[in-house]
Amino acid sequence: MQEATFLILTALAAGSQHGYGIISDVAEISGGRVKLLAGTLYTALDRLRADRLIGVDREEIVDNRLRRYYRLTPAGEKRLAAEAARLHSHATTALRRLNLAGGVA
Amino acid sequence: MSEPEMSTSKAASLERGYRRLLAWYPGWFRRENEEEILAVLMACAQDGQKRPSLEASADLLKGAARMWLRPRPGQPRTVFAAVRLMWAGAFAELAVAITTLATLGSVRAAVMHSYPAAWHSAQVNLIGNAAEAPLVIGLWLWMAWANGKGKNRGRVALAVFFGLDSLAILAALSQDAVTYAPADLAVGAVQWLVALAAVMLVFNPASSRHYQYRQPVLR
Repeated sequence: MQEATFLILTALAAGSQHGYGIISDVAEISGGRVKLLAGTLYTALDRLRADRLIGVDREEIVDNRLRRYYRLTPAGEKRLAAEAARLHSHATTALRRLNLAGGVA
Repeated sequence: MSEPEMSTSKAASLERGYRRLLAWYPGWFRRENEEEILAVLMACAQDGQKRPSLEASADLLKGAARMWLRPRPGQPRTVFAAVRLMWAGAFAELAVAITTLATLGSVRAAVMHSYPAAWHSAQVNLIGNAAEAPLVIGLWLWMAWANGKGKNRGRVALAVFFGLDSLAILAALSQDAVTYAPADLAVGAVQWLVALAAVMLVFNPASSRHYQYRQPVLR
């Protein structure tokens, strides 16, 4: 799973969000390192919807503009949990081997 | 976060710029997502920004290119592949027509040098091929459109086209065409193979539902 995809799913893990909310949340989660642009975001959202990992929660019109909220599907939650566990396992192993686990965590 | 305040004219100018970029996306994607993406783009805009940044423009164009390489929602991958093959058929026909016209002079010189008596029939053949090219390209594009839309007459037309193409190849072989036009026959064989693959894909059982279902699928 690509980092941007992982971060988008993570942004939706706590609840539904609209496109701009996802961009802001991804920037916050990554400490400002990942700045999603709209083209990248919607290419990823389209793929995630096609894979049934996310779905549309609701739509609103705010200031005459469409705002669509996305949510994780059960399959998306499962996939994110599996990916997070995999990354966690790798990170733990790396830190243990570096003998830094105690100090860094 | 709220959308930065911008003057109406600057915002309108920026929105037009974004719409021009979004126009590069496939129609099905624009119909479902354009207004939403535009809202996000406008929300991300800097105060006073009048036109899309280079970075955002490149990102949108890259996104558009990727979306053209994906099947529309509900479209079987078999049909998607067949439609791309039909585009390739149209493109190949265009390339052949351009090559024919561009090399007409050198072909004429070569034929006149080696087989002057054959120039008349060669000329008729070359001009005939170039003249029918727009028709064949148009047919490929129409078949790609019709099959993409799930119109049954699109795949019937493809099957008929493939049948006629097969007969033309057989006729060319029976007239010993390979002895004087191997390149022409090779191009014909490639076109035949493209049509064969497209026919197999659109008549694949996985494609059937696409030709029976008319309503757009919303995810």
